[in-house]
Amino acid sequence: MEGLAAVALAIALVGVGFWTLIVRRNLIWKLLGLNVGASGAILFLVALAHRPGARPPIVGLGPGPSADPLPHALVLTAIVIDFATLALALVYVIFLTEHRHTQDVERLERDEERGWPQP
Amino acid sequence: MRVLTALSLLALAGLLALGVSGVFPRPELPSADEVAAEWGAENVVAAIILGVRLWDTLFEILVYAMTIVGVKLGLRLLRWERPLPPVAETPLLRRSADLLLGPVVVFALYVAVSGHLGPGGGFPAGAILGTALLLLALAKGVERLSAEIHEPALEWAEYGAIVAILALAGGLLLLGRRGSGYLVAANVLIALEVAIGAWVVLHRFASSRGEV
Repeated sequence: MEGLAAVALAIALVGVGFWTLIVRRNLIWKLLGLNVGASGAILFLVALAHRPGARPPIVGLGPGPSADPLPHALVLTAIVIDFATLALALVYVIFLTEHRHTQDVERLERDEERGWPQP
Repeated sequence: MRVLTALSLLALAGLLALGVSGVFPRPELPSADEVAAEWGAENVVAAIILGVRLWDTLFEILVYAMTIVGVKLGLRLLRWERPLPPVAETPLLRRSADLLLGPVVVFALYVAVSGHLGPGGGFPAGAILGTALLLLALAKGVERLSAEIHEPALEWAEYGAIVAILALAGGLLLLGRRGSGYLVAANVLIALEVAIGAWVVLHRFASSRGEV
């Protein structure tokens, strides 16, 4: 049951994140949405590891089945890659803001159609 | 382009469906406790990260290092890094930073060293150490802290830690040796690398725009 609730929450997080990623026009908001969606993916992986009545995957914590340790190991990768993507993307946003003076995607596209204004 | 994107998405979904459908039989996995005992760990996740899926972790460390180099070089290209005005010291922040720094560093070391026995490991320990550096940066100002901790030397220490992890893990992988000593050493090195990397990213962002 807790696993199902976590999966539902994860899907909701991914939905909110992707909604923000698609609808918002500001690049920083888009990156925030991407990050929230990644948190949803991480929560989904953790929920996958859940088994009813399971203990944490540490030896010697008592009898019973242990949670699946493999998704937990994958979560680490997801977090690090998420951090790396966010940091590099923020650098590119700083570049864009410095050279084009806007973070609005539609304005960037319009400027590209018209030819970039000379700074 | 759109057709290509749609086709590749369809292919991806098809691969996922094929994997879920059970056409390929699942390999028999050894039980988690056996894996942990084989690597001398009690935390099964640590045994998986640093043992069974070692390649994954090694390339993850490389991705992290490349991110840091990318942020550093990218923001250097902008050429408008200027020294920030020194932060006015508030006694409250200064005192609490002094008080908290020791426990935070000790806790980070504990999390790194005992990562194979319980919840913890190199990456969380590095994040905790990075938080300690952030606390000091709030109290002292970024530039002053950067000068105090000898940042260029620290960066070399980071590259050294990466090389050491690669050499240690690759060498042990080739030799086929396993044990808890290797896990402790790898966790401490990873903590060092992650903490210094977090500090470098923080410093670059802080000195490129605004103040911390």
